[in-house]
Amino acid sequence: MTNPEAPSNTPGREASHASPSTGAAPAFNPGWLLGLGFVVLACVFWFSSGGDPTPGAPTPAFDVALLDAGQRTTLLTDPPTVLIAGFEQRCNACHKLFESDSDGTRPLTQHGHIELAHGLNDRCSNCHDRDDRERLVLHDGSSVPYAETATLCAQCHGPVYRDWQRGTHGKTLGAWDLTSADAQRLSCTECHDAHSPAFPALHPLPGPNTLRMGEPSWGGGHHGARNPLRRWADHAHDGAHEREHEHGDDDGGEH
Amino acid sequence: MRLPVLNKSAGACSKSPRPAHPGMTRRSFLRRGAVATGGLAALAASLSPLRDLDGTDSFSVQKFLQKHYKEMSPEEMEGALDRIRSEVERRYEVRPEIRDIKAMDGVEFVYALNLSRCIGCRKCVHACVAENNQSRDPEIQYIRVLEMPRGSIDIEDGNHHYDRPTVPAEGHYYMPIQCHQCANPPCVKVCPVEATWQEPDGITVIDYDWCIGCRYCEAACPYWARRFNFSKPSLPKDELNPEMSYLSNRPRQRGVMEKCHFCLHRTRQGRMPACLEICPTGARKFGNVLDPESEVSQILKSKRVFVLKAEVGTLPRFFYYFDERDPFSQMTPIPAGTEGGS
Ligand code: HEC
Ligand code: HEC
Ligand code: HEC
Ligand code: HEC
Repeated sequence: MTNPEAPSNTPGREASHASPSTGAAPAFNPGWLLGLGFVVLACVFWFSSGGDPTPGAPTPAFDVALLDAGQRTTLLTDPPTVLIAGFEQRCNACHKLFESDSDGTRPLTQHGHIELAHGLNDRCSNCHDRDDRERLVLHDGSSVPYAETATLCAQCHGPVYRDWQRGTHGKTLGAWDLTSADAQRLSCTECHDAHSPAFPALHPLPGPNTLRMGEPSWGGGHHGARNPLRRWADHAHDGAHEREHEHGDDDGGEH
Repeated sequence: MRLPVLNKSAGACSKSPRPAHPGMTRRSFLRRGAVATGGLAALAASLSPLRDLDGTDSFSVQKFLQKHYKEMSPEEMEGALDRIRSEVERRYEVRPEIRDIKAMDGVEFVYALNLSRCIGCRKCVHACVAENNQSRDPEIQYIRVLEMPRGSIDIEDGNHHYDRPTVPAEGHYYMPIQCHQCANPPCVKVCPVEATWQEPDGITVIDYDWCIGCRYCEAACPYWARRFNFSKPSLPKDELNPEMSYLSNRPRQRGVMEKCHFCLHRTRQGRMPACLEICPTGARKFGNVLDPESEVSQILKSKRVFVLKAEVGTLPRFFYYFDERDPFSQMTPIPAGTEGGS
């Protein structure tokens, strides 16, 4: 393993140089070669030991700050407020003063940062209570506090909501035992922005740099020889499976 | 890189047996001399690993005499932990909180991963490295994320070297793989010294002080989940996670195997694994399969789960599943201007 080329090549080269010349001297004892071989081997091991035998590209550096779960922390709590010109304002500080009914159909002047990208769900009043902006509204007109956004989303996302209740969608932090006081299930709006709920694309953190893990260019051309997963290829490739997937010619060489 | 030096010395060696005027005594003298030199050099070479030992490496008699994990009495374990504490403190200048945390009763851990949600951001990979004190250089990562072409579940189609400005990429999905904590683990069977075994809660662990580094387990694992410390692991002092346990994330030494252990120092105390907590998408699920209300039990009940390479009979405790697509998001938009809803 240690520097694969050095130990295997060098003694061999040494032997082939030595043998013709020893053949010329009839009294020569082959024990010499043995001693010589030891010396050469010892030299090889001595000088090659201690180095870093792991073939690898330089370890990519990345900002450890990127290691956060990216949870949304700007959630509204009751009573909800927004920051207007540096001051915290209750919604009703304004909305009690005037009737507004833009309903998202015309460009907003006040809540300019809100961009509604929620597919068919394109009316502010599908979710916000017209009579009391400090509440959210359900289809039947009843209102829910901001702390219970899941009930709101549930109306239109039944299957996902059911999954969330079971714990198969979303995330539970703190404890795997759900009866524990530390178990804390994230609400929908801790991951999704209610206004443009599609999950954002992220920049991937660096992948493995060790060359033993396969060619970085792997995937085009010859993926195979060095890919450890292919050791078990014979198991994975028999039967109907082979017919199901068209592997093209890159498999031909190996089977 | 060191070959020039090697050639020079080899050349010097090969000259000595052929003097200009060979006489018998002189020749035998030289022969004996050469053999002696060779022997000495070989001895030196055999001892050369010792050169790598500096004060921070543990070559103590105490460690040499240490028993197998399962045979240690509580006092002996305390002694071993004390030794590790002082070694870590000497090397990293941090006093670790190391314990030997045992499996909990009535608990069998299972992992489930939602392939419809994973976006391949690799945060789990690096959270794992940070949590478990893996070597940074050379790099050791327990989790490998495969970028898979949509429509295939053959992991041989995957690529774990993907590097893109953003993920997920069109036409792909992502499949993270780590130790599957098999119920029928081939790695345990091939270990010649029983340095790796399955615990009552289903986690396959390694006694790093018992491992001889033969790498049979690495070869036996069909999921390629085991990693070998080819050279001395290195990690910056300020990145050491001082919360450790004997069987999980205490610092390893050169020449031993390591792998994912479901963060047993966290999970055996009720907490979630580090890879789950960091996952921004919530694709990772962990829990006690013996509890019918746990998230993983719910998944096994309500989702169509599968395991990798089921045909090799390893019975993994790591399940994958897909969600059905949310029907609402497949509806066609109502033409603008029409009143929608009630
Ligand atoms: C500084 C005053 C002010 C505050 C505080 C305020 N709004 Fe508004 N909001 C407005 C104005 C003005 C409009 C009218 C739409 C436009 O032209 O931008 C509006 C529009 C809206 C609309 C669109 C529907 C409509 O009535 O036109 C919603 C929904 C809304 N606000 C919600 C809230 C919520 C929720 C809060 C509290 C978290 C809040 N607003 C706080 C001034 C305010
Ligand atoms: C899918 C339901 C939904 C729709 C449609 C919707 N909102 Fe909201 N809105 C919410 C929820 C839920 C919150 C609370 C968000 C949070 O806690 O992060 C909120 C918060 C707000 C806030 C306060 C937080 C902030 O970002 O300033 C304003 C203002 C607001 N919405 C305005 C609007 C306007 C204007 C529209 C129409 C263009 C609209 N909303 C459409 C659900 C909705
Ligand atoms: C009035 C019905 C309605 C409500 C309430 C509603 N949604 Fe939606 N949601 C939709 C529709 C319709 C779509 C389909 C968007 C598309 O694919 O065009 C959608 C799509 C989505 C998507 C997928 C977006 C994408 O592009 O992948 C997410 C995520 C989502 N909603 C989250 C939420 C959350 C979180 C809430 C609660 C705050 C919520 N929705 C409340 C109707 C609703
Ligand atoms: C841990 C974060 C998280 C939480 C909490 C969460 N989601 Fe999601 N959700 C996601 C991710 C990630 C996706 C996948 C997005 C993608 O594929 O681009 C998603 C997708 C969706 C979709 C699209 C459906 C589909 O099949 O693609 C809907 C609708 C949705 N979520 C609704 C909800 C609702 C409703 C809640 C609360 C009951 C919720 N989510 C809670 C992370 C979360």
